Amino acid sequence: MTSNRSKNGTGMIEFRGVNKWFGALNVLKDITLSVEPREVVVVCGPSGSGKSTLIRCINGLETIRDGDLVVDGQRLGDPATNMTRLRTEIGFVFQSFNLYPHKTALENVTLAPIHVRKIPRAEAEKAGRELLAKVGLADKVNAYPAQLSGGQQQRVAIARCLGMRPKIMLFDEPTSALDPEMISEVLDVMVAVAEEGMTMMVVTHEMGFARKVAQRVVFMDAGAIVESGTPDEFFSHPKTDRSRAFLSKILRH
Amino acid sequence: MIWQQLQSIAGSYPLALRGLGMTVMLSLISLVLGTLIGFGLGILRTGGNRLISSVIGAWVDLIRGTPFLVQIFLIFFILPELGIELDAFTAGIIALTNLAACFICEIVVAGIRSVPTGQVEAALASGLSRWHRMRQVVLPQAMRIVLPPLVGQYVLLIKDSSVVSAIGLTDLTRVGWLVVQRVPNGLLVFFLVGLGYFIVCYPLILLARRLEQRMGAAHGEVQL
Repeated sequence: MTSNRSKNGTGMIEFRGVNKWFGALNVLKDITLSVEPREVVVVCGPSGSGKSTLIRCINGLETIRDGDLVVDGQRLGDPATNMTRLRTEIGFVFQSFNLYPHKTALENVTLAPIHVRKIPRAEAEKAGRELLAKVGLADKVNAYPAQLSGGQQQRVAIARCLGMRPKIMLFDEPTSALDPEMISEVLDVMVAVAEEGMTMMVVTHEMGFARKVAQRVVFMDAGAIVESGTPDEFFSHPKTDRSRAFLSKILRH
Repeated sequence: MIWQQLQSIAGSYPLALRGLGMTVMLSLISLVLGTLIGFGLGILRTGGNRLISSVIGAWVDLIRGTPFLVQIFLIFFILPELGIELDAFTAGIIALTNLAACFICEIVVAGIRSVPTGQVEAALASGLSRWHRMRQVVLPQAMRIVLPPLVGQYVLLIKDSSVVSAIGLTDLTRVGWLVVQRVPNGLLVFFLVGLGYFIVCYPLILLARRLEQRMGAAHGEVQL
């Protein structure tokens, strides 16, 4: 029944009363959140607040203990849900890039399209070259990850996700491991992806990015969603003490 | 006198060649089978099924914790008691393959565990099947860790094959025993037997060293 209702509903990602524990630690507390198609949601909060865990649940890198999590009309943990297939619809960008070090940039991008989508190699390589050009790396097609800067690696990682033509893109602190001068090249690519209408959830403290493309900012603390609103509301008029304290810390410099 | 003995030994070169052939044959067959089974066991052991993993772990510990000579005797003398008739060659192959598979399993497990979890997560997140995750992402990276000790294990296997002379297979070691009955100079005969093993093993030792150097260099390159 639950999955039927969600198919009729509009939420691309729907958390309903989701809880998760690591041992005795309640890392996600009664999370209820709905992300609409084409919506960009920025998730922020102090470290250890459960932001990463939240988005890692969406593609099943973490499992939830109770509550409902419905993604693209499919309920996670339901025997009828094919997790491997659902993951092909969800791109995930990691803080540490996680490019395959033994494969070139192009091979990183074409691996899943060839082996999962069963796209012919020549076609996948053509699409892969176009994607790498789109993220500004047309000249790095045959480079190995070790030969690329952090910013370049993260752009390859985004192209790798786009290669699967996903419906949803999740970003787990995509710029936190980067040198400051490389952050904007990655954010520019993310803005371009957002402007093409991708449904996105982005864990980040990049407030410029949030103001530019996010429809909503979700603030988490100690495993719970404390506040949620438009970027303007959240940054200009935070409603809770905890969000004010957090904002004063990240905006101080 | 040494000269006469050398001539007498030289006269038995067909026997020596047969022994060397037997040693190479035993090693080669069990090396290929042991590698295949060892990789299979290693992949199964890291596959996440706790029962399978602990059964393999217990078997590997058992084999690593008992002398190879005892294992050969068990296979050659005990199995026929249970109604399984084996000729010495088959028994030798089974014992050596089992030994190789167990050690290679441990090497493969260490290699697979050395691959950062982020790599598996990236492969999972892009929807790759278990087979493709292993084949395309994990194993190629594990091979860098696996290859040098794997070749080292082959050297050990060739030397361990000498133990099969105990069940009557005419390998290089047993040829030594046969020749020494005619030519009473154990030092000379077994020096030559040792030389025979060394000639087979030394290229592999060199290969293992080169691989180790190459992997070391490559590893520095890839560090993030």
